[in-house]
Amino acid sequence: MMLAGILGLQYEFRWSVLWESPYGYWLLQGFKNTIVLSLLAWAIALLLGIALGLLRTAPWRLPRAIATAYVEFFRNTPLLVQLFFWYFAVPQILPAGPVRDAINSLNLDTPILTLNFEFLAALAGLGVYTSARVGETIRAGIQSIPRQQTEAALSSGLSLIQVYRHVLIPVGFRIVIPPMATEFLSIFKNSSLAVTIGFAEVTFQTQQVNSYTFKGLEAVTAATLIYLAISLTIAAFMNRMEHRYAIPGLIARGAVRE
Amino acid sequence: MAAAIEFKQVNKWFGKLHVLRDITLAIQPGEVVVVCGPSGSGKSTLIRCVNRLEPIQSGDVVVLGQSLTSPGVNFSQLRSQVGMVFQAFNLYPHMNALENIVLAPMKVKGLSRAEAEKIAVALLERVGIPEKAGQYPAHLSGGQQQRVAIARALAMQPKIMLFDEPTSALDPEMINEVLEVMTDLAREGMTMVVVTHEMGFAKRVSHRIVFMDEGQVVEEGKPETFFAAPRSERTKLFLSKILVH
Amino acid sequence: MRKSLSVFLTVLVMLASAAPALAETVLEKITRTGVLTAGTRTASIPFAFINEKNEWIGFSIDFLEAVRARLEKKLGKPIKLDKKEVTPQTRIPLVANRTIDLECGSTTYTRGRDETVDFTINFFFTGSQLLVKKGSGIKTLADVAGKRVGATQGTTNEKALRAQQPRADVVTFMDHAAGFLALEQGKIVAYVTDGILLAGLAAKARSPKDYEVVGDFFSKDPYSCIVPENDSKWRDFVNHALMELIDSGKYFEMYDKWFGEKGVVAYPMSAQVRNYMLMQSMPE
Repeated sequence: MMLAGILGLQYEFRWSVLWESPYGYWLLQGFKNTIVLSLLAWAIALLLGIALGLLRTAPWRLPRAIATAYVEFFRNTPLLVQLFFWYFAVPQILPAGPVRDAINSLNLDTPILTLNFEFLAALAGLGVYTSARVGETIRAGIQSIPRQQTEAALSSGLSLIQVYRHVLIPVGFRIVIPPMATEFLSIFKNSSLAVTIGFAEVTFQTQQVNSYTFKGLEAVTAATLIYLAISLTIAAFMNRMEHRYAIPGLIARGAVRE
Repeated sequence: MAAAIEFKQVNKWFGKLHVLRDITLAIQPGEVVVVCGPSGSGKSTLIRCVNRLEPIQSGDVVVLGQSLTSPGVNFSQLRSQVGMVFQAFNLYPHMNALENIVLAPMKVKGLSRAEAEKIAVALLERVGIPEKAGQYPAHLSGGQQQRVAIARALAMQPKIMLFDEPTSALDPEMINEVLEVMTDLAREGMTMVVVTHEMGFAKRVSHRIVFMDEGQVVEEGKPETFFAAPRSERTKLFLSKILVH
Repeated sequence: MRKSLSVFLTVLVMLASAAPALAETVLEKITRTGVLTAGTRTASIPFAFINEKNEWIGFSIDFLEAVRARLEKKLGKPIKLDKKEVTPQTRIPLVANRTIDLECGSTTYTRGRDETVDFTINFFFTGSQLLVKKGSGIKTLADVAGKRVGATQGTTNEKALRAQQPRADVVTFMDHAAGFLALEQGKIVAYVTDGILLAGLAAKARSPKDYEVVGDFFSKDPYSCIVPENDSKWRDFVNHALMELIDSGKYFEMYDKWFGEKGVVAYPMSAQVRNYMLMQSMPE
């Protein structure tokens, strides 16, 4: 359809499909599901990612090795494959029985969204994948602090935990605000892959509108604008964060990279 | 009276590199010792062994009566009695001068903020920059940063102060302001081990000079004899290089 | 996309077919040459496909053979069947420009396509149905209300499902393989697409006996042969060949050979379809 329009074959725009019932409602539902999935996945990614990033800089060999393996595995395999893995393979690890069946066929209506395994698999996949990327970012941030900074803190009598708590984490986290903003933006864009395991986010609803109205160009334009709006909002928010938590005289560059 | 710091046949390797060879050295309470030597001679490593920033492979280091190689040593507690000042200042960049100084007294000694700040203000006064309390490190000159770093180390009321080339990263016009603070500290009776190339400071302030080369203590002596009549060829060579400019 | 492509192809076809269309009818041509040139598919199991012995066989090809036999009887001379491979993209243009005399494979009769070419009566009838695990208790579309049902996103089957069973929780998949896996794992209780494709999915399963295709069609997919536009003698000839097969019962034998319990894809004929086929046959 889009191609036809560009090639000069007659294509009549009908922007009203975007707010006509039920298509406008579908798009709004998709938008809401994209936001819910992305924000919850981001919460998981932050929690896991921070723990991973810190463990990777810590002087304990075994936890460090485990964290490194985790990060390298999930960071270096395609998200699409991971989503299929979570959706089709993970529940089958459980022994056949009522528990596994309940997980597979989960279908619970909540005020926010329909809680089903499509959503849970998308959440786990997106959260875990992004946690590996967040972990890597945190590690890089902590390790960019000169080693002597740690030694100075240790030599004043602070324990290693205190050094992390009062020096490495506050400094490291401020350094990584711009790359973290990029990861935060990415999680919204990556959430569109959840369509492949049947989660009805905004890309899914765009395709639905297209298949019912053959107005693909309008639907894709709407999706693009939605993603753009999300990205710009986050960029503005993270820019404020960066300025607010800037280390005086050190990080005053501004502008979230994207 | 027991020595403040005692090295007993200390050996240390970095991989295959033998950086400290059979070091035996005692530093008395109230003594100011300057350690000098060419780069790579092991002098920085030597003082980093005192507060266990570097572990050793054989021998023993006894600090304030505590053997560092005995099991169950509380390094945090030991380090709170041994202050250290680094070449690169290493102030915490996200804290202002005052916050830099009060962190350890509050977190390690459990002082209240008010108590810690009282000490900090007094120390900033003592190092000559009371007006910089609210400034962040990036807004201070190198000399000012190093003086804050000294104040930070002193805030723990240590019994020993270690200085690892404290003036090497400074512009020449700032070296004196730091050396003056160190001189005052020495006059007040602080036990100090100073790795430095500032031979003027060594002559004026130190009680003893230790010359190291290739991981060994080559020569040690009082400043007057060390400079006037060095015994070893290596010391002579080093002094001829360092005193020319 | 599909729509614009078909517009493009239509224009192409009209240009290509303008001249020879007036020349001679298909029956006149076959009488002259002694050859029936037919298009069919090569991988549309079990309609027309090449098997492991490299034989080009199938339900539709059996029908082509029947058309050839009827030609021999009618013309009183031997007729050779010359099979040409077609694809969904080429089948309509090749009939329209008379490269082939007819196409029998697995082509759905739609009114849109009927603008460009003609269609015979239906030789096969399928439509949206449900693939379920045996013993699930699901027999009709009504039984899946409030249950999770799978479909491929953007297909006519998905739309029909949503329209006719709005109370089903529809879960969409990128392809049939993913949908079938979800059914196997119990993520959905039924998977929806054309019944014959469902039968094909079940046939490929580890244990085909555990699955069954159930329910009446809730969308239509009638298969017909394509014949050239405006050659009613030829279209009648092919239609009558099929009617004779239906009347003689040979059609049902052919169906059973390919779609019966021992056939290539088990898709037993429903009473609904049997009736429909019988009704398609007009009195002599």
